[in-house]
Amino acid sequence: MKPLNQKADRVLKAAAVDKMDEVRAMQTVTAGCATTFDPGWEVDPFGSVAALCQPMEADLYGCSDPCWWPAQVPDTMVTQPDWDANANSAARDWRALGTVFPGDSNT
Amino acid sequence: MKRNPLAGPAPARLLRSAAVLALLGATPALADDAELLAKACGDCHTTAADGTLSRISGQRKTPEAWLMTIVRMRMSHGADIDRQTEAALVRYLADTQGLAPSEAEPYRYALEKDPNMVEAIDEPLGTMCARCHTGARALLQHRTPEEWRTLIDFHVGQFPTIEYQALGRDREWYKIASTEIAELLATTQPRDTEAWSQWQAADKPGVAGDWIVLTTLPGAGQAYGRLTVSGDASPYAVSGDLTLADGSTQAVSGQMNLYTGYEWRATLDIGGQSYRQVLALDGAGGLSGRQFLTAQDSLGGHLSGVRADAGAHVLGTVPEAVAGLSGTVQVVGAGLEGLTVEGAAADGLAANAAGASVSLSAEAQGRAVLSAGDSSVGVALYTAPDRLTVEPEFTIARVGGGSDVGPAAVPALFSAVGWLNGPDGAAGTGDDIRIGSLSAEWTTTDANETAAMMQDAAYAGTLDQSGLFMPAVAGPNAERPFSTNNAGDLTITAKAGGLEASGRLIVTVQRFIDPPLR
Repeated sequence: MKPLNQKADRVLKAAAVDKMDEVRAMQTVTAGCATTFDPGWEVDPFGSVAALCQPMEADLYGCSDPCWWPAQVPDTMVTQPDWDANANSAARDWRALGTVFPGDSNT
Repeated sequence: MKRNPLAGPAPARLLRSAAVLALLGATPALADDAELLAKACGDCHTTAADGTLSRISGQRKTPEAWLMTIVRMRMSHGADIDRQTEAALVRYLADTQGLAPSEAEPYRYALEKDPNMVEAIDEPLGTMCARCHTGARALLQHRTPEEWRTLIDFHVGQFPTIEYQALGRDREWYKIASTEIAELLATTQPRDTEAWSQWQAADKPGVAGDWIVLTTLPGAGQAYGRLTVSGDASPYAVSGDLTLADGSTQAVSGQMNLYTGYEWRATLDIGGQSYRQVLALDGAGGLSGRQFLTAQDSLGGHLSGVRADAGAHVLGTVPEAVAGLSGTVQVVGAGLEGLTVEGAAADGLAANAAGASVSLSAEAQGRAVLSAGDSSVGVALYTAPDRLTVEPEFTIARVGGGSDVGPAAVPALFSAVGWLNGPDGAAGTGDDIRIGSLSAEWTTTDANETAAMMQDAAYAGTLDQSGLFMPAVAGPNAERPFSTNNAGDLTITAKAGGLEASGRLIVTVQRFIDPPLR
């Protein structure tokens, strides 16, 4: 079996030296970060940022529209259909992408 | 879409009346709030024979979680609820369907927005819940079995690709979520618990009066003082002042809401800056939690407090340690006339409004223990630290700004903490003595080879000499390979007294959804 990507390659190498216990399905980041490694929102599968989408705006809508990081980035499919209304191109119009929780609602 | 809460169909109005009548045995205020809930929510939520509303009655949760639910009803379902009604409903729901102190205690870091907390959520909830949001966000809720099951289906309806993401598509996600997980949560997080019944029946701690507090203010260091809480219901008025280590003072004023009999949420002006306090009363005259800047919640510090009339109790000292083996400290606490000191000579104990001042001295480096009542704190007396650590050891910051509507940058604040090796002379053992924060020389470097290739340290932001890292602006950066963002993977290094220590900082992208519980 031949690994298809770097992650799979690392898993095979770990298995070869009996270190599968150290292979973790999720990265440990500070509480509240998305760790789903497709990649995650905050960190990549290697626990750093180099393998995140670069820049994230280049491919943002392709992932966020269908809820890829639903707790971090508004999805336009169901929850925030108008979030990107003023930003046809995320790479060009990123300054129009706002935060969505109302600032004047607090405990 | 706007809905008029008074324009529901006749059967709904009749059932609402039944709900209100059922609560007439309660206090008038509760009956009024129940009527408000029925008016605001009763057009969509059906009313059961006992007057309770569908979905709502099957849950208990924190004030923040109830607020998030109401905001979602406003934003996604057009509920016409003004801010005043929203605040009243959060108070009513948190008071009548909140969490007992013991139920919230393990997960307070999420309420406090602790920026450095790394959760350890056991499987199966780690990959089911905590891969998208804090595990605490789920575990700060108690629900009936039906409500946990419905929450799973809510996730599928609201975020349909949940089954196609990693850790969704590679297993029978829906089957696992709707059976195994729903049943687990119904068992570990049931709506009806002994802890909640007992808390509802218990006498609640009083909050009005004077409190002695000790905290740190970002950029200003330790601060202590006396806060007066006045009023007989939320919002209470809070006023007082905080004294810094250099003797200067900052005035404090603002309002505090007390939820569920112990959850203290205040918005205060401290020296011209707006702060939030997320604290809990412990029922024994104590208060603890986190205080942070309203506009930058990653910047703040732990706050501990005690009622001025609680009897003898010591919270800590300012400064944290005595440099040079002798000096005077402010001991912060209540009833400190009988303060006892072991491990150092004490002289000139003088009570004051925030505790007492006392002079400490010792022949050699070590730890003095200051005790009052059942409480005690340690104070290092030192000439030079044996080792240094960086706190936090690992955290994240976020790029931000550059936009009128987007998220602001999220900075990170580091401290260089000095230690003595303690009696055994060995570093990193149980008898090590914490000195506290020391001034240091701070630098950032690329954390690894890839970061060096991308020149992360040059682009991700700047670290000032107080240990405050301010991330760079958001957006694609044409100067960088692939026009990538100003993200980076950095090593943070502190040098003090000939010693050196490091931490790691991931500077990452913005968070566009930032609710009270992440």
